[in-house]
Amino acid sequence: VNGFLGDWIGAIPVFAAPFLLATTGLIVNERAGVLNLGAEGIMSMGAVAAVITMLSGFGLPLAIVMACVAALGMTALFALLTVVLRLEQVLSGLVIFAFGVGLSGVIGDSYANQPIKALGPVSPALFASLPSWLARLIDQDPLTYFAFILPFIVWWVLERTELGLRLRSVGENAPAADAAGVNVMGMRFAAVLVGGIILGLAGAHLSLVGSQVWVTGMVSGRGWIAVALVTFSRWNTLRAIGAAVLFGAVQAVIPLLLSSGLHVPIYLIQMLPYVATIAVLSASGVGRLRASAQPEDLARPFLREERR
Amino acid sequence: VIPYRLVLSPRLAVPRWLTAATLLGGILFGLLCCAIFLIAFGVPASDLGNEFIVYVFGNRAGLDQTLTRAISLTLVSMSVALCLRIRFWNIGVEGQLWMGALAATAVSMYQIGPWFLRMPLMIIAAMIGGGFWCGLAAIAKVRLRADEVITTLLLNYVAYLLAQDLLYGHWRNQADQFPTTPIFPRYEQLPTFGGWHLHYGVFIALIVTAFCWWLCRYSRFGLLSKAVAENRTASRALGIPVNRITLATACLAGAVSGLAGFSIISGEEHKLTQFVGNDYIFPSIAIAYLGRANPVGVLVAALAVAGLYTAGDSLKAFYQLPDTVVVTMEAFLLMTVAAFDVFVRYRISIHRLRPKVVVAQPAVIAADGGQA
Repeated sequence: VNGFLGDWIGAIPVFAAPFLLATTGLIVNERAGVLNLGAEGIMSMGAVAAVITMLSGFGLPLAIVMACVAALGMTALFALLTVVLRLEQVLSGLVIFAFGVGLSGVIGDSYANQPIKALGPVSPALFASLPSWLARLIDQDPLTYFAFILPFIVWWVLERTELGLRLRSVGENAPAADAAGVNVMGMRFAAVLVGGIILGLAGAHLSLVGSQVWVTGMVSGRGWIAVALVTFSRWNTLRAIGAAVLFGAVQAVIPLLLSSGLHVPIYLIQMLPYVATIAVLSASGVGRLRASAQPEDLARPFLREERR
Repeated sequence: VIPYRLVLSPRLAVPRWLTAATLLGGILFGLLCCAIFLIAFGVPASDLGNEFIVYVFGNRAGLDQTLTRAISLTLVSMSVALCLRIRFWNIGVEGQLWMGALAATAVSMYQIGPWFLRMPLMIIAAMIGGGFWCGLAAIAKVRLRADEVITTLLLNYVAYLLAQDLLYGHWRNQADQFPTTPIFPRYEQLPTFGGWHLHYGVFIALIVTAFCWWLCRYSRFGLLSKAVAENRTASRALGIPVNRITLATACLAGAVSGLAGFSIISGEEHKLTQFVGNDYIFPSIAIAYLGRANPVGVLVAALAVAGLYTAGDSLKAFYQLPDTVVVTMEAFLLMTVAAFDVFVRYRISIHRLRPKVVVAQPAVIAADGGQA
């Protein structure tokens, strides 16, 4: 267990955590009926903001806060376009994607490729008595721990509180929610912002824990995978844990295979998560799974004055 | 909290001048945002006109680069525009472009057909490759109800990784071990206009534009797809073959993207490289939207955005701005144009909320109902 397999298992949480955070944030958005395709751009802004804060000599806590603030700014713009101006959500999401990726590249250009002090494991000494693979699995940094706790909190809020009920009602049937006295615009705006903060944390995790450096375009499609993972986990944050671990495992095995010197078709292995997502998307269309889980009013702008 | 409420009431009839004015206003405002953005990142305001007009269209090198870039941009954006007309989001042009390029390269690598038929075969292969890739997403949509936004997007990565696998594997140039194919023989290269980089791919782009214009405007197919775009359920009820139209449009759009792949490898690179299909997803969406999904509009918008890239190259050279400055400017433009659309779709008014009128309360009735 201590060889290849141990390395693999120990690396999974760090690879899975950004997926998990991003998926959780997106689930908050989509349960309120807002499809946020801008995840990639928002995560980029979070990642670059964290690195710039670190390189400017401020500490880790402020870096995480700044990642959230940057993501919040991007998300506020997205919310303005979709929730207030009622633009098509797919289009607005793509705009935010391009804007975030582009702007993070421009402002991060002079900070690129400079290593930063990483957010490390909480206390290596505490788990020293355990077998090394188990210690590596359990001993993580605070952000990763948070990533694995957050889905439970979000699940509880969504499924067990009145706030969650209101949020879900806005996503399922906005006119009915409106008639029942829920402020649809306010609720969607708030849900988008909260989801955006979580996306910023996902970006911060990528740069502070994962790569420990800013490289232009370093989110490299993880935001898009998170969008697909929402469907994969059928809009449930608890199932998102399993989905994120699965995808994290595939990503974690790639550097290990590369360094092991084995002769494997590395690009074909990298294809696996994408093919798996398409397969799951298609398979869930066959049964009734998808129909019962997708928020009914997803990606449908709500305007009281508009007849539907 | 705020004593005002923003009220958007949908417009039933939109005057033409308003549509035009909004588009113009959106573009101007977007350009203003871009200018502020560039000035904020250190480009002197006095140089902006120089960069954008003189360098892009005013000298030969700039014009050459702009027109060459416009070929592939027109093709991929036409692909998105065709799909947009039936409200199918094609976010997978990069993957379709890669598959087109791969299929055309396969014809070249395995020397299929005699040399004089080679180029037509490459063109057909590229169309089949791209059409197949987009068709996959369309089949998944109509048969399995898989959302095309996500499937087309993920297929980008699959096609890209497949290309990398081939370039680092079977197709690697044995002569120098670089991850490219050997240079195509002369009869597999699109001819260039004497002394320019601009190649005969221009004709492919123009023919495709003309064909799409005819298709959307005069053909039965275009009429039916308009109905599909308006309301899928009602179209199905009227007996319009919605699924077949979706499939056909997607395959056609994919084929057009595939042609872009062919035009790049045969006209510009003369070999398959790792950088054939980079950064086309967002530009294609932006151009299709700015061109209002109208083939002629797309052609114009593609020329303008290609100019933006040329300007970006000179900004990169003179002011050390990174590549992503271009995509940021595109995002600004699309954002403002799309946001200005609100004025077309809605009549906007701000209503002042009246303060709550305090209704005179009846005298408090005792708990026992006033019987005491």
